[in-house]
Amino acid sequence: MAYIAVNSTANFVRLDLNADGVDYSANVDAAFESVAGLANVLTVPALQEVTVNATPGTFNWQQLDSLSELVVTTPSTNSIAVTLVLDPTTFFGNVGSTQGIFTTTNNKTETYFRLYWQGDDAGDRYIQGKGYLSGIAAAVSPGAPVWVSPMEILVNGSYAVGTV
Amino acid sequence: MAFRDTLLANLSVALASTNVSVSSELPFTAAGVALYDKNMKKLYIDAEQNATTELFSTLDYNDVFQQEIIINGYLTVDAKNQPSDINTVISHVINSRLSVANCYLRECGVTNDYTEDRNTYTFEFRFLTI
Repeated sequence: MAYIAVNSTANFVRLDLNADGVDYSANVDAAFESVAGLANVLTVPALQEVTVNATPGTFNWQQLDSLSELVVTTPSTNSIAVTLVLDPTTFFGNVGSTQGIFTTTNNKTETYFRLYWQGDDAGDRYIQGKGYLSGIAAAVSPGAPVWVSPMEILVNGSYAVGTV
Repeated sequence: MAFRDTLLANLSVALASTNVSVSSELPFTAAGVALYDKNMKKLYIDAEQNATTELFSTLDYNDVFQQEIIINGYLTVDAKNQPSDINTVISHVINSRLSVANCYLRECGVTNDYTEDRNTYTFEFRFLTI
């Protein structure tokens, strides 16, 4: 078996966001690969932790003619949770028509995302979709005098899996 | 300006009207005797000790590093006849840590040690910056 290693030079976990207001629902790839889309892609820097949540909902029940519980699935709850060291340019500044992370969160702007699991070399995997930025809880203290914050992408719909 | 230079500049002014003077020389040892033992009532500030450690690790090598600078100061006085304003001097030396800017931690501790009739005060300045 192989590993999805993220410690090689220039092969990072990478989270790209595009919140330029264009509806890419029919072709999410265009948000990150078309010339127009690329101009509005904000790459989130200085990620510390990344957690991809993909949790199908379930409904369980019991019936008298079965010794075990039965289950059917209900719609999934998907989200991506990260923690990051805040960079003023990407937190408050714009990249093309995509506003900074704080403004995008504050304005509840629908955001297309693409998460590269290992980098963007040929053959590397990514997941993408759309959702809303949430969960900003920026904090700083004398013992850790750099702003750090968690952030969550509440995914609207399913993930799509792709290969670079 | 280096941290040591800032401290020296501040201390030169702060201690000007006291019984203790400030030397810009490093506290080296000559003929087996440390300069601060040879020249009593003169404060010597040692060279900076610098250490860089990782404060936050990130996945894309945008790591945040913390720099720790430690500087020692030495002052020897006659233990039997200390300068009358020794407490003022110690207070000024400790307060000189505040002259260093752009640090989120500025500490100074003082200890003393007796050798025969000499009392040597050792000041340890500690600064943390990003």
